Amino acid sequence: MRRDCDHLIPYIANELKECERMAFVEHLKNCTECKKEYQELSQAWHALPFDYTEIEVPESLKGEVLGFVFDHKGKSGTETFMAKMSKLAIMLKSQFTPVSISIVAVLLLAIIGLGIANVQEKNHHAENIPIEILTAIPLKAANQSHPGTNGMAYIVQQESEKNLVVQVHELPGVEGSQVYQVWLLKNGTRENGGIFKPDENGSGILTYQLAEGQTFDQIGITVEPDADSIQPRGEKIAGS
Amino acid sequence: MKEKYDTELMRLVNEKHGHALEELYNRYIKLIYSFVMKFCNGNEEKTKEIIQLVFLRLWTTNSHYDPSQGSFVNWLLTITRNICIDYLRKEKRKTQHHQEEHEEIADPANVIEQRVNTNDITKAKNKLPTAQRKLIDLLYWKGYSLSEIAKLEQEPLGTIKSRLHQALKGLRKHLELEDIK
Repeated sequence: MRRDCDHLIPYIANELKECERMAFVEHLKNCTECKKEYQELSQAWHALPFDYTEIEVPESLKGEVLGFVFDHKGKSGTETFMAKMSKLAIMLKSQFTPVSISIVAVLLLAIIGLGIANVQEKNHHAENIPIEILTAIPLKAANQSHPGTNGMAYIVQQESEKNLVVQVHELPGVEGSQVYQVWLLKNGTRENGGIFKPDENGSGILTYQLAEGQTFDQIGITVEPDADSIQPRGEKIAGS
Repeated sequence: MKEKYDTELMRLVNEKHGHALEELYNRYIKLIYSFVMKFCNGNEEKTKEIIQLVFLRLWTTNSHYDPSQGSFVNWLLTITRNICIDYLRKEKRKTQHHQEEHEEIADPANVIEQRVNTNDITKAKNKLPTAQRKLIDLLYWKGYSLSEIAKLEQEPLGTIKSRLHQALKGLRKHLELEDIK
């Protein structure tokens, strides 16, 4: 019996190392003597497990075995997922040099940064509180020498804050310290509603924050000698 | 036809069809249970744990049954036996710290075997000389390796190998005679 043939018994008993086993499988193909012996002996070997007495299987075993296996399912699923991820990481590592990794990393960071900025800008727009126009009051000329003067006043509300917006066109020009002043009439008393200077085309715009609960019946616009008027001193140019 | 069905079942198990695993359980649990009980000397708790591991192996690892390598039952029992051996070796390592290696080697006969058993292989085995029968019990049912047995029996490894050779030859001869009867 050759040395190779000596492996027959450990081969049947499944005791060969993997490389020895492979070598013996090759040997089996060519050695007629071993082949014949193997067929006979392995037949006896495979008969060995049937040397038992049949025993009644407990009813509860099925649930315990299959329950155990299927409970394991999720766990092994994540394990293989993790294994796949680490395989992927290794594969990627072998594809990139340190330089290309840093380039990719910088690009990725830039993309993420831009993405975040974009989203934030969108959110910012979304957070803008809508402005609601509560009242629109047409303004017309109050002075015969400038009958073309016209404009609109709006009361706008943004959250709880109310603003008066006054827009007037074709106003006569002002000189020196002269300004236009808006007056809010309520029960015969006039309150300051802000001052403005028109541009060279005679158009002027003013926004004035109204105090909480402040209301008025009428608007008047006068031309004042300076910005310090507490009560109207000059001519009324336009009004509601 | 039955083999074909087993191959198909195993393919479905590989594709993670739970009902196919259940079908395998229904078909083979009696065989596997009796086999493992004998391996564990009738210890029900160990038997349960081993059977759980067997079905887990069938389910989780991609163990593919190749019909050209032998019958499905042989394949299944080989897997089962390997798991039994691994299990018992681990256990042996654990208990080795507490007690000496030589435990009950002298008489490997076990509880399960003492029950009435009339099948062919048992009859054939009983006709073998005591040394050969003991060798098969230690090797096949107790999971000792050939070299471990050589050490235990204080005999050369070559002697043990040729004894196994003789034992298997003898078994085959007796099995054939049983067939003729």
